[in-house]
Amino acid sequence: MTTSTLPLDVAIIGAGFAGIGAAIRLRQKGIGNFAIFERDDRVGGTWRDNTYPGAACDIPSRLYSYSFAPNPDWSQTYSGSSEILGYIESMVDESGIRPRIRFGHTVTGLVFDEEQGLWHIGFAGRRRKVKARTVVLASGPLATPGMPNIPGLDTYEGHTIHSARWDHDYDFTGKKVAVVGTGASAVQIIPELVRDAASVKVFQRTPGWVLPRVNRRTSGLAKQVYRRAPVTQSLARDAWFWGHESVALGVVWNSPLTRVVESVALLHLRSQVRDPWLRRQLTPDFRAGCKRLLISNDYYPALQRDNCKLITWPIVEIAPQGIRTAEGIEHRFDCLVFATGFEVAKQGTPIPVTGRDGRVLADEWHRGAYAYKSIAVSGYPNLFLTFGPNSGPGHNSALVYMEAQIEYLTDAIGLLLDRDLRMLEVRRDRQDRYNTRLQRRLTATTWNSGCRSWYLTEDGFNATMYPGFGTQYTRELARVNPADYVLTPRDPAAGVGVDDRMTASLG
Amino acid sequence: MAFDFDGMLGKIKARQWALADIDWDAPGAELIEPELHAKLKPFMADLMWIENVGARGFAAMAKKAPTETLREIYRYFHAEEQRHANAELALMRRWGMLDGDTIPEPNINVKLVIDFLDKHSDEMSLSFLGTVIPMLEVALDGALIKFVTDEIADPVAQEVFKKINADESRHLATDYAVMELLGHATTRKLFIDLVGGWAKPSFLVGVLSYVPLLNKMRDNIVEMGVDEEKLYSAMRRFKAVGERAPIANRVPMYRIVKMHSGWVINRGHPYHLFADAMVKVTARIPDRFLGAQPTWSKELTYEPVA
Repeated sequence: MTTSTLPLDVAIIGAGFAGIGAAIRLRQKGIGNFAIFERDDRVGGTWRDNTYPGAACDIPSRLYSYSFAPNPDWSQTYSGSSEILGYIESMVDESGIRPRIRFGHTVTGLVFDEEQGLWHIGFAGRRRKVKARTVVLASGPLATPGMPNIPGLDTYEGHTIHSARWDHDYDFTGKKVAVVGTGASAVQIIPELVRDAASVKVFQRTPGWVLPRVNRRTSGLAKQVYRRAPVTQSLARDAWFWGHESVALGVVWNSPLTRVVESVALLHLRSQVRDPWLRRQLTPDFRAGCKRLLISNDYYPALQRDNCKLITWPIVEIAPQGIRTAEGIEHRFDCLVFATGFEVAKQGTPIPVTGRDGRVLADEWHRGAYAYKSIAVSGYPNLFLTFGPNSGPGHNSALVYMEAQIEYLTDAIGLLLDRDLRMLEVRRDRQDRYNTRLQRRLTATTWNSGCRSWYLTEDGFNATMYPGFGTQYTRELARVNPADYVLTPRDPAAGVGVDDRMTASLG
Repeated sequence: MAFDFDGMLGKIKARQWALADIDWDAPGAELIEPELHAKLKPFMADLMWIENVGARGFAAMAKKAPTETLREIYRYFHAEEQRHANAELALMRRWGMLDGDTIPEPNINVKLVIDFLDKHSDEMSLSFLGTVIPMLEVALDGALIKFVTDEIADPVAQEVFKKINADESRHLATDYAVMELLGHATTRKLFIDLVGGWAKPSFLVGVLSYVPLLNKMRDNIVEMGVDEEKLYSAMRRFKAVGERAPIANRVPMYRIVKMHSGWVINRGHPYHLFADAMVKVTARIPDRFLGAQPTWSKELTYEPVA
């Protein structure tokens, strides 16, 4: 193994929304010595991978975009995946960062060299490692397709498709299809599938709360106004932002307003589903917000089409030709669609990360991930996470949170470079205090109100969500306080060695 | 020692079986003599519908269970009762008891119970559901299935009912454990549950559906030439629960159901004047007074593969 000699100032891992955003802001802040390492041959991350029919965002596009890269051309309130992907591509081209992206680079591990204050990055199939003073781990929580834990999964002989790796060559016309999962992807896929397939059987374990969606096309005039007077775009974005913020009162916290959200969803169900038994099967037995809220006008009508059937019997096993359920019937079909989401990094890490003194991040996170402000982890200097532990919103745009993280980490990187630090490491006591408070706040949230969801580990630890308003999170991340960190200068001549680090009070 | 609900859930998941596991065309169907065939046909139809009714009861229990494990157990029991009904329907088909592909209509007493369960079972408390459903299971399922296994030589039926029996023994073990669990509730809660439960007019409707169903089933058994003692000995098992686990006796509803079962098995009890009259009265209820058959009771199938 060899390591290239010239270290980067910043290595960004992943060319999805977060990685691209970080790169653009680094450049805007005058930090140019960076590279983005992307395992695929295209940018886009989750939006490149999720191209299933009907794929769209649950957050209005005006808000599901960066404030520093406004787009007046969104075609409708809630854009589909191809339009979002187009937006990411256009950001890459307009910002000029494309030459900095190294496609086909799958990172196999990160090892921190404490002597030099450098991260060594290894890649699959490449002998040469890359050195970087800082690393932005923007690999994303929704990057690896998650498969359900069902016996006999490997024995199925028909065609299988995961929503995050859609097979566009497969023709569903006249086919018998099964969909496993009834979450956010499923409610978008199912209405599309029932149009072509001979039959669609939807296997549901737990129903989710489904809210109606008002999706309008953006008129040409509105686009003109947004283009000519960008302030109108900011105002529209702010309006969406505050609208979503107000929803937090019912969705984030388990409060009387949660009942209001549930009432809206129940009215939606009642107005769309006439059969009482089907309605009962589709009524959740947990608080709204506990699991991700679903937004769709087409899902319930699709379930009631003649060629569609909701199956709620427990799944026993997958057999070579179909799925056996506990009422004793083997449901057979030609194609099995898994709309089962992602392997969310609540524990462990997507790639091995070895920090100071040989510590391994996955080991430290095996009971549940944690970080300081979701971005930095003590023992892993110069490493910054996007969408790290406890940064998920349940009510607002992920992009708002991501933008706050990007501002924070690019400032931290600026601090490291400006002061020529060898190490910038969050103080353990600050990190612990932050997380103790955060976990205490989480106890009053809907996510911790008793349901099982992908937000929680098997032990019920919430390593995923942020228990507050978007404004609170943004304010928490508004400024890098050097007092939260141990700052170690790079130059030994300055008289400060590895074990004689300046404390933040000097900063 | 406390009942291991997690262990039970693991056992339930491990012991699943499917209709496709059974060779429905295997020889043995011819062992049903024409005389037995004629009597067995309505009996099997009732049995199948009672399984379906039990399924709906467990679906209601799943909504009331205090822990996720118990909710999951009841979700399985709901499906397993449906599986029993499906398997019994498949046996009827094997024996040529179906009119083409048509699923037999439930009798009036079953229809009344279906209607009641559809409208009100989800509102009933765990202590009501948790005592009445075991009683139904012990009395009807246990006795009827015992009859079938004793009287029918068809090896396929024997295989099917062996599997059903194994499922039922897990249902009953859990039912009894839940009754014990209910017995640990405070006196205040037990009292509120009892008064609140009986104060509902809907519950009285349920009682008036349940009473004739039991006596009707007894009539059916007698009509088949079977000693009704089989039904009674099964019902005595319900009484034995309270003797084995005295804490269950704290649940007032258990005591009421137990008392009622004592009346049922005492043919000299004046209760039968009322119950038998109810059977006659309910038999005259015109179909139009019953609501539309709910969709959950239309999902039975004899096809192992869908």
